[in-house]
Amino acid sequence: MQPKSPPNPGRRKFLTYSTSFLGLIGAFFTAIPFISAFKPSARAEAAGAPVKVDISKLLPGEMMTIEWRGRPIFVVNIPEENTSFVTENLARLADPDMADPSQPDYAKNEIRSRKKGIAVLTGVCTHLGCAPKYYPEAKPEDFDSNWQGGFFCPCHGSKFDLVGRVYANVPAPTNLVVPPHFFEKDNLLVIGSDGVS
Amino acid sequence: MSENTIGKKSLNWVDSRFPIVDLFERHLSKYYSPSNINVWYLFGFLLLIVLVMQILTGLWLMMNYTNTAEGAFSSIEYIMRDVEYGWLIRYMHAGGASAFFALIYLHMFRGMMYGSYQKPRELIWVGGWFVYVLLCAEGFTGYVLPWGQMSFWAAQVIISLVGSIPYFGEDLATWIRGDYIVSGITLSRLFAFHVVLLPILIIAVVFFHILALHEIGSNNPDGIDVKKHTDADGVPLDAKPFFPYDISHDFYALGVFLIIFCSVIFFFPEGGGYIIEYVNYEPANPLSTPAHIVPSWYYTPFYAMLRAIDFSLFGITAKFLGFIVMAAGIAIFAALPWLDRSPVKSIKYKGIFSKTFLSLFVISFFVLAYLGSVPPTEVKNLLTKVFTIGYFSYFLLMPIYTRYEKCKPVPERVGEAI
Amino acid sequence: MKILLFLVSIFLSQFILSAGEFNCGSIKCDNYEADVSDKASLQRGLSTYMNYCYGCHSLKYSRYKRVAEDLLIPIEMYENNLIYDDSKIGDLMEISLSKSDAINWLGAYPPDLTLEARLRRPDWIYTYLRNYYPDSSRPYGVNNRVYQNVNMPHVLEDMQNSLTKLEYDRVIYDLTNFMTYVADPSAEQRKRVGTYVLLFLVIFTAFAYMTYREFKKDLK
Repeated sequence: MQPKSPPNPGRRKFLTYSTSFLGLIGAFFTAIPFISAFKPSARAEAAGAPVKVDISKLLPGEMMTIEWRGRPIFVVNIPEENTSFVTENLARLADPDMADPSQPDYAKNEIRSRKKGIAVLTGVCTHLGCAPKYYPEAKPEDFDSNWQGGFFCPCHGSKFDLVGRVYANVPAPTNLVVPPHFFEKDNLLVIGSDGVS
Repeated sequence: MSENTIGKKSLNWVDSRFPIVDLFERHLSKYYSPSNINVWYLFGFLLLIVLVMQILTGLWLMMNYTNTAEGAFSSIEYIMRDVEYGWLIRYMHAGGASAFFALIYLHMFRGMMYGSYQKPRELIWVGGWFVYVLLCAEGFTGYVLPWGQMSFWAAQVIISLVGSIPYFGEDLATWIRGDYIVSGITLSRLFAFHVVLLPILIIAVVFFHILALHEIGSNNPDGIDVKKHTDADGVPLDAKPFFPYDISHDFYALGVFLIIFCSVIFFFPEGGGYIIEYVNYEPANPLSTPAHIVPSWYYTPFYAMLRAIDFSLFGITAKFLGFIVMAAGIAIFAALPWLDRSPVKSIKYKGIFSKTFLSLFVISFFVLAYLGSVPPTEVKNLLTKVFTIGYFSYFLLMPIYTRYEKCKPVPERVGEAI
Repeated sequence: MKILLFLVSIFLSQFILSAGEFNCGSIKCDNYEADVSDKASLQRGLSTYMNYCYGCHSLKYSRYKRVAEDLLIPIEMYENNLIYDDSKIGDLMEISLSKSDAINWLGAYPPDLTLEARLRRPDWIYTYLRNYYPDSSRPYGVNNRVYQNVNMPHVLEDMQNSLTKLEYDRVIYDLTNFMTYVADPSAEQRKRVGTYVLLFLVIFTAFAYMTYREFKKDLK
C-alpha cells in the first residue's frame, strides 16, 4: 500500500527526533563499561603500586636501580665533591631552569629532588627510550673530554648530568623524568607516591 | 533538499562510487513487508542485536581471558573483580547466550507456525537452521571456557558421545580432545573455535539468511503471497515499507526486550543457576564428578532424548543410538520444507491434525526440557521416551497428516473475509 | 491455544522451582537472607574470617584493597591489623599453607573459599556452620549434619561454647554475610547501575512506543 501522509507532521518530527536522541544517549552510556574496561585493572594497579626502598646502604657515588611500573628508576647517592658540578655546569645544559614539566613541582629545584644528595630519576632516555649508562666520575671520557659526571645514553649519545638534566646539542629533547617520590623516613624512599604532604 | 546541498553532494559523490542509495532502498525504504505481520516477526531483529552484543562483549572478554587449564578459571574471576565493569561485560555475554537461544526458539517456532519454511522459502529456513546448529556449537564451546566443574564435565560428556561411533569413535574422540582426557589442549582448541571459526561462520550464514529473505520477502500469519496484488507502480497492496514502519516497531520491541534482559543481568545474573551454573564456581577437577550434571537449559530437550535411549537396537549400542537420536532431534528441523505436504502455509488454515501435532511438539519440547534438567528416575525415564516419540511424530508423520487433513480456504488478500 | 499456554506455564514454573531447591545434606537449609549493604556486619564477618578461617582457607581471587574499600575500612588500619604476612594492600588474599603440609596435617588441601557462597549458596554455609555436633568416632571428635564426615575441625567450638546461642548465630550470620559479599563483590554496584539502566530503558521504550504508534497512523 502507499502510506498516507502523517496527520500531524510536527508531532511525528518531535517523536522521531526525541526517540533517536534517547537512542544515542543509550549508545553513549553503553559505551561507558567498554571504555572503562580498558583502564588499568586492579592487578595492573597493584603491580604499579608505590615501591619502598631502603637507601641506608647506598654509598656516595653509588647508584641502585629499582623497578617501578616496569621501568628502571635510578636512585643515586651523589658524592659530596660532585654536588658543586651539579650547580656549576649550567652553561652546557639545554634546560637548566627545568621549564619542561618532567619533574613534580616539589622537585623543581636545583637538586631536582626532595633530599639533597639523592637523585631519583626514571632511567629511560627521553629521546627514544634506551636506558642511559651511569658515569659518575668527573673525568675525561671517550664521548666527552670534559665530562662532569652523569648519564650517557649508548644508543644515540645523549648526555645528562647527575640529576638528569639534559646537555644541549644532544638528540634527547628534555631532562630525565623524576618520578613521584617521598621519604617516609630518613633512609626509606617511597617511589610512586607524592606522599601525604 | 535544496537547503542541504553539501549533504546531497557528498551523498552523490559516494553513490556514484558505491550503491548506497540503491542498498538503502532495496533493503529498507522500498523493502516491503506484509501489512498483517505481528509480534512473532520481531525476533529476527532482536536476534541481530544480540549477535552484535555477543561479538562486542566477546571481544572485550577475550582481551582478559586466559585459554590455559591453569589460567582460565582465575582469569574469569580476574574479569569479574579486577577489570572495571568486567562483571557487566561477562554477565551480558552469559545472559546474551541464553537470550540468543530463547529468541531463536521463538523465531523458529514462528516459522513452524506460519509455514515460513514452505516454498519458496526453503533456503531461508535451511540457512536459519544452520545458524541454529552453529549457535549450539558456539554455546557449547563457550560454556567450556570458564573451566569450572560444569565446563569440564560437559566437555567430557559431549566429546565422549563421539566415542560411541562404531569402529573409529574412540580414536576420533581422542583426536578431537588432542589428549586422552579433556585437558588444557582441548580447552585451547575449543577457544579457537569459539572466538574465530564459529563466529565467522555464524556471521556469514546470517548474511546469507537475510539476503535470501530480502529476495523473497517475509511470509505472514495468513501465509498469503502479498506480491501477487500490486498497484500501478508495482508496490504490493498488502505491504508497507520496512523503513520506517517496521523499524519503528523493532525499536519499540528492542526497548521491551532490553527491559527484560537488563532486569535479568543486573538483578538475577545467574538466572537461578540456569544462566550461570552454581557448580561452575568450582574449578575443573578431573578426579571428581559433580553429583548432578545438567547441560544449559537450551540443550536440555536433546539431552533428555539422549537419556531416553537406554536400549540397543539392530546391533547399534544404546550409547550410539542415543547420540543418533539426539543429533536427529536437531537435524530434522532442516527437513521441514520437504516433510510438509500441505497446500496451505499458516497453521490458521491448516487442519486439525496439524494443530494437534504442533501442540504435541510444543508440549514435548517443554516436557523434555524439564526432564533433561532433573535427575533421572524410572517414571521420568518412561516419560522421556513417550515425549521423545511425541517430538519426532510431529516431524515424521507430517507427510501423512498434512496431505490428508482438510484445510480451510486461504483468502487472496489480507483481511479478506472468506 | 490458551490451554497450551497454561500447560507451558505449569512446566516452566516446575523448571524454575526445581533450581531453587537446595537441601543441606541430611537436613533442610535454614532460612538465610544476606544483607551485603550492612557494612558493620561485613566488618565483623571479615574479622571472624581472618581470625578463624584464613589460616587454612585462602580468598585468592579477592584483593585486600578491594575488601578494605568496599567494607569502608581505612587502608592503613587494614594494613596494620588484617594483613598477617608481608603482602601489600593491592595483593591477592593468598595464604602460605603448602600443599604437602596441609595433606600431612589435615589429610586434604583446604579449598579456597572466595566463591563458596556462589557455589554452595549462603544458606548452606549458614546451616553448615551451625550444625556441628560431638561424634567421638571422628578424628576431631565432631561431625556435621550438613556435611557428613567432614574433614574440617569445628574451629569455632570454643566460641560456640562461650557464647549464647543467639550470639553465636549472630557471629555465623556475619561470617556468612561476609562470604556472600566476597563471592560477588560487585553486587551492590550492579544493583545500583541496574536501577538507573532500567529507569532509562522505560523512558526510551515509552518514546519508541509513541513513535511506533505515530507511524502506524499512516497505515490505517
